[in-house]
Amino acid sequence: MIKLFSLKQQKKDGEAAPKAGNQKKASAAQLRITKDINELNLPKTCNTEFPDPDDLLSFKLIICPDEGFYRGGRFSFSFKVGPNYPHEPPKVKCETPVYHPNIDLEGNVCLNILREDWKPVLTINSIVYGLQYLFLEPNPEDPLNKEAAEVLQNNRRLFEQNVQKAMRGGYVGSVYFERCLK
Amino acid sequence: MSSPAPKSPEQSEKNKKYDRQLRLWGDHGQAALESAHVCLINANGLGTEILKSLILPGIGAFTIVDGEKVTEEDIGCNFFLDHDSVGKSRAQATIQLLLELNPDVRGDYVDESVEQVLENNPDFFNNFSVVISTQISERVIIRLSKKLWELEIPFIACQSYGFIGYARIQVQEHTVIETHPDNEVPDLRLDKPFPSLKELIDSIDISKMELKDHAHVPYVVILYKCLQQWQQENEGQIPKTYREKESLRKLIRAEILNNDDGIPHDEENFEEAIKAVNTLAPTNIPSHVREILDDESCINLTSKSKPFWIMAKALREFVENEGAGALPLRGTLPDMTADTERYIHLQQVYHSQAAKDAEVMFRRVQQLLREINQSPDSITEKDVKLFCKHTSTMHLVRGSCIADDYDNKIFAQKLAPHLEDPESALVYAVLLRGVDRFRIAHGTYPGEYDDQVEPDIVKLKSCVSKLLNEWSCGPLAKDDYVHEICRYGGGELHSISAFVGGCIAQETIKFITSQYKPIHNTFIYDGITSNTASFTL
Amino acid sequence: MMGSGDGSDNLHHRWSHLRKILERPGPFCHPDFEASPETLNFLMNSCKILVIGAGGLGCELLKDLAYMGFRNIHVIDMDTIELSNLNRQFLFRHKDIGKSKAEVAANFINTRIQGCHVVPHFSKIQDFDESFYRQFHIVVCGLDSIVARRWINGMIISLLNYENGVLDTCSIIPIIDGGTEGFKGNVRVILPGMTACIDCTLDLFPPQITYPLCTIANTPRLPEHCIEYVKVIQWPKENPWSVPIDGDDPQHISWIYEKSSERAAQFSIPGVTYRLVQGVVKNIIPAVASTNAVVAAACATEAFKLATSCCLPLNNYMVFNDLEGVYTYAYEAERKEDCLACSQVPQKIEFKADCKLEELIAHLCESAQFRMRSPGITTQTGGHSRTLYMSTVASIEQQTRGNLRRTLQELGLSDGDQLLVADPTSPNTVVLQLKLLNSTT
Repeated sequence: MIKLFSLKQQKKDGEAAPKAGNQKKASAAQLRITKDINELNLPKTCNTEFPDPDDLLSFKLIICPDEGFYRGGRFSFSFKVGPNYPHEPPKVKCETPVYHPNIDLEGNVCLNILREDWKPVLTINSIVYGLQYLFLEPNPEDPLNKEAAEVLQNNRRLFEQNVQKAMRGGYVGSVYFERCLK
Repeated sequence: MSSPAPKSPEQSEKNKKYDRQLRLWGDHGQAALESAHVCLINANGLGTEILKSLILPGIGAFTIVDGEKVTEEDIGCNFFLDHDSVGKSRAQATIQLLLELNPDVRGDYVDESVEQVLENNPDFFNNFSVVISTQISERVIIRLSKKLWELEIPFIACQSYGFIGYARIQVQEHTVIETHPDNEVPDLRLDKPFPSLKELIDSIDISKMELKDHAHVPYVVILYKCLQQWQQENEGQIPKTYREKESLRKLIRAEILNNDDGIPHDEENFEEAIKAVNTLAPTNIPSHVREILDDESCINLTSKSKPFWIMAKALREFVENEGAGALPLRGTLPDMTADTERYIHLQQVYHSQAAKDAEVMFRRVQQLLREINQSPDSITEKDVKLFCKHTSTMHLVRGSCIADDYDNKIFAQKLAPHLEDPESALVYAVLLRGVDRFRIAHGTYPGEYDDQVEPDIVKLKSCVSKLLNEWSCGPLAKDDYVHEICRYGGGELHSISAFVGGCIAQETIKFITSQYKPIHNTFIYDGITSNTASFTL
Repeated sequence: MMGSGDGSDNLHHRWSHLRKILERPGPFCHPDFEASPETLNFLMNSCKILVIGAGGLGCELLKDLAYMGFRNIHVIDMDTIELSNLNRQFLFRHKDIGKSKAEVAANFINTRIQGCHVVPHFSKIQDFDESFYRQFHIVVCGLDSIVARRWINGMIISLLNYENGVLDTCSIIPIIDGGTEGFKGNVRVILPGMTACIDCTLDLFPPQITYPLCTIANTPRLPEHCIEYVKVIQWPKENPWSVPIDGDDPQHISWIYEKSSERAAQFSIPGVTYRLVQGVVKNIIPAVASTNAVVAAACATEAFKLATSCCLPLNNYMVFNDLEGVYTYAYEAERKEDCLACSQVPQKIEFKADCKLEELIAHLCESAQFRMRSPGITTQTGGHSRTLYMSTVASIEQQTRGNLRRTLQELGLSDGDQLLVADPTSPNTVVLQLKLLNSTT
C-alpha cells in the first residue's frame, strides 16, 4: 500500500502568470534519441549526416550498397523523429529516385517496422538495418512499385538491367531516374 | 456497406453536431433516441446529471416530476440550480437550466410529488419510454414499480448516498438485436460450407502456385482445405482438443513453401490460418439463441407480438428448414492477408449467401405477419437484414418487479446467496433498505444532524438487524458499514452522483435504442474503493 | 470573488454534504485522516488544482471539482469550440463556436457556481515552465493525446526533489489522468516518483491503427485501405490545393471522399462513406456524454481523496466499460524499472566553471562512479536541445569537436543545468545535474 503524504502540509509557491517555456528538462523522446544516436552502429555501407548537430531529431542516412542489384549506388533517406518517439516510429523518406519494388517514386518506403510493426523497443539502428536489407533483398511479394516487382519476379536479368539503367541516370519505361552512382 | 454512398456527402448541421455518437449507435439509434420521452422523478444532483447525459445526445423529450422546493443544500450539489433558485420549485428551476443544454430537446415538469401524481393522475406514466427515480421512499417505490411493470415501461430506481451509488433496474422483457460485442468470432462455415463457398474454394489449387500467389491466398481458403484433409482422417469431426488442433496446425504448417535452402518462407496468410484454428468451432446455435427460439413468446405468436418475436419465429423456422440447423449467414469477412481480387471474390460469396438467407427470412416474416393479421409494413426488409446479421449475438432480458424485493420470502431467496460473501458490495443495498426503514420510523436520515450521529448508529443498526431477520439472514459481519452510512447523513456527493448519473444515462439509452446489454438488474458503486458490482435480484 | 465565506450561514448549509464527510470520522478513512473543519477550509482556500484540457473530460472535471469543494482551479486548453463538441461538452453553446474552450468553460463555471474561481489559459501546456506548474497541489488531465500526456508527465517528474537520492515527498504533485474512447474509459492516479507513470505504461495505450504501405498501394481490401491510399500517396502526389490535408476543410474531405470512392470502385470494395472518410482522415475517436461524465467523476473523486486524505486513493488504475452492463476493474499498474521518464534520479555532479568539456568527459570515463566508454553529451538550454559532444557519429563529432577545448562557462552552461549523457555502459541516457563551482573556490 502507498504510504500517503498529506497535501495539506505542502506550501505551494510558484508564479501564477504564464512564462514562456524555458525548459531545462529534456523530454523522454530527447533522452531516447540521444541514446539511439550515440549508439548507432552503422554497417560499413551506411553513413549519417546531421546538418545541425544540436538537432538529433532530423538527419539523413546515406546507403551505398556494396553487393546485390544496387552495388555502386548512393541512396539518401531523410529521418524525422517526432515528439512521441519511441511510441511512434520516425518518418522516413527516400530522397533519391530509385527503381525498387518496395520504394515508390514519391520516396515512400514499404518497410513493416516503419508502420504496422513498429515497437518502442526498436531503435534507429533497427531501421538502418531494415533499409539496408531492402537493397540486398528487394521483396517482390509485397510491392510498392508494382511494375518493378513484376519485372523482378519474371525476369531477374531485365530487372538488373533496369536497376543499372536507373542508377546511371535514364529512363526505365516512361520514368526518368537521376544518376545516383557513387 | 449496407447503405449506398449519399449523392451529396456534405453533412447536415445535426449530423455534424452528433457525429461522435452516430459512429457508435448509428442513425437508427439516434432516431430512436430522438423519438423517446423519459420521465425523471426528483431532480436532485443525481437526477439532473442523468438528464444531462440524455439531453446532450439529443433525447426527444423529458418530464420532471418533483414537488420539492430548492434548498441551500441542493445548491451545493446540483449544477442545474444557481444561487437565485433557493425557495423556488426544484422542478421548474432545474428544467430551465437543463433546456439550455440542447435546443433540439423538449422538456416539461410537474411540481408535485410522485405520490400526488400517482393519486391524482393514474394515467400520467402511460406513455414514457423509460421512467427514472432518485431517492424515493419505500411506499412509493412499491406502488410505482407495480404500475410500470404492468405498463411494461423500463424503470430505473437509483440513489446517490455519500460515497455509495445504487441502481435497481426493472424491465419485464427487453430484447436486443445489436449487442455490439467486443470480440466477435467470424461466421465462416468452414465445417458446413454452403455450395457457392465450396465451389469457389474447390476451384483454387494452392499446390501449383508461385510464392507470390501462394502468400496471398486468403487464410479462409487454406484453413478450409486443411480442415477437409484433417476431417478425412478423423471421421468428419472438428478438432476440439489441444492435440487435435495441434495436428491440424501441423497440416497447415506443412503447406508453407520453402526457399532454396529448405527454410520456410514468411507467409503471413498461413500464420493467420494457424492462429484461426483456435477459434474454429462447429457451426451451431448458441445456447442463448436456442433459449430465445424455444421461448413461449417465439413459439406462440399473437396479433400483439412484437417485431423481435416475429423475426425470432421466422428464424426458428429458418433453422429447421433452409438453414439445416444453422443460423442465417452473417455475411461479413474479417480483413486478412490476401490480394484484392481473391479477397473481394470471397467476400462477395459470403455477402450474396447472406443476402439469400435474409431474403428467405424476409419471406417467412411476411408469411407470419399475414398469419397473425399484422400489417406487412410493420417489419421492413431492412429490419430483417439487420436482424439476420446479429442473430448469433442477440440478447433477451426478463427482469423482476422491484415490488418483489419488498416481499420478504421472495427477497430472502434472492439475497441470501450473495450475502454469504462478507465483502460483497451488496451489503450497501441492505443498508440503504435499512435507511428507508429508519426514515419511516424517525423521519430523518440517520446521521442527518451532527449531534445525533452516535444515537442514530444504534437505531440504524437495529433497523438493519430487523430487516435481516425478516429475510432470515444472519447479522452483518461488521458494524463498519452502519457507521459509514450514518457518517453520510443522507448527504449527496456531486462526483458520486456524476458517476452514477453517467452510468444510468447510458442504461437508459440502451433501453431506448435497443442496443448494448443493460445491467441485470442491481448495480452498486463504491466510491471509497472505486469499485462497481452488479447483481441479479 | 467571495472571501473565505465559511462563516456565512448560506455557505454553511450549501456545503453540508461535504462537511459531513470531512468533519466526521469514519471506519474506511485513511489512518492519518483527522475529522475537522480545517480540511474543507484547506480545500476551499489553499488548495490549488490544475485541469489540463477543457474538452469532453475537462468540462465535466471543472464542474465536479467545483462541487467537491475546490475553488482555486486553473484550466489550460489551446483549442477552440467546434460544432461536433456540443453533444457532450456541456459548458458550450452554439453561439460559442470558434471561441476558446478554456475561457468559455471558466466563465460558465464562475458564473454558475458562486465562490468558485477558475482561471483559464488559452494556450499550449508547453507555453508554461516549471515555476507555473510548481504552484499546484494536484494536476488532473483530460487529454486525448499521448504526446501531451507524456509532456506533462515529464514536467511534473522534473519537479521532484531528491535529497541524497531520497525522494522528498513534499515535491510530489499527484497526477490524475482520465481517458475515454466510446463506451470505454480509464482513470489513473500517479504519484510521480512513487507509482507507475505515463511512460511506465505506454503499452496500455491502444496503438494507432496503421496499414502496411504495400497493402494500401497494391492489395487494398477494406474501404480504409482506399482512403489511406488517397491520404498517404495520392494527396502528396496531386496536392490539389498545394497544402497539407486539413481534416476540417470540407473541400479537402470531399476530394478525398471522391478519390477513395473511385479507387474503391476500381477494386470493387464496398463501404466507402463520407463519415468513414472523415473518421479515417481526422482519426476521429467516438465519444458520448455519459462516458465522459463517468470518467471525469471518478477523477474528481480521486482528487478529493488526495486533497483531504478522507480515504485511500485508487491504487492506481481503473478501467471502465459500459457496453455490456457496467464493468470496472481496478488494479495496480507497475512501475517500470528502466522507465525513461520516472526512473531517472538526476545525479548531481560538481565541476568548476573553467573546467574544459574534455576534462569533464575524461572524468566520466575514468572516475569509479561512471567508468563510461564513449559518452555522448547533450543539454537543454532556453527550451532548445544542444549537442555538446558525440564521438560516435562522424558528422556530429566533426561539428562539436571544437567544444572539447572550451570551458563549461564558455559553453554557456549554468548552475542547475542538466547534462544528458548516453553511453553503452548504461541502458538509458543518464541525467546529470550540473553544480557549477566558481572558478576561484
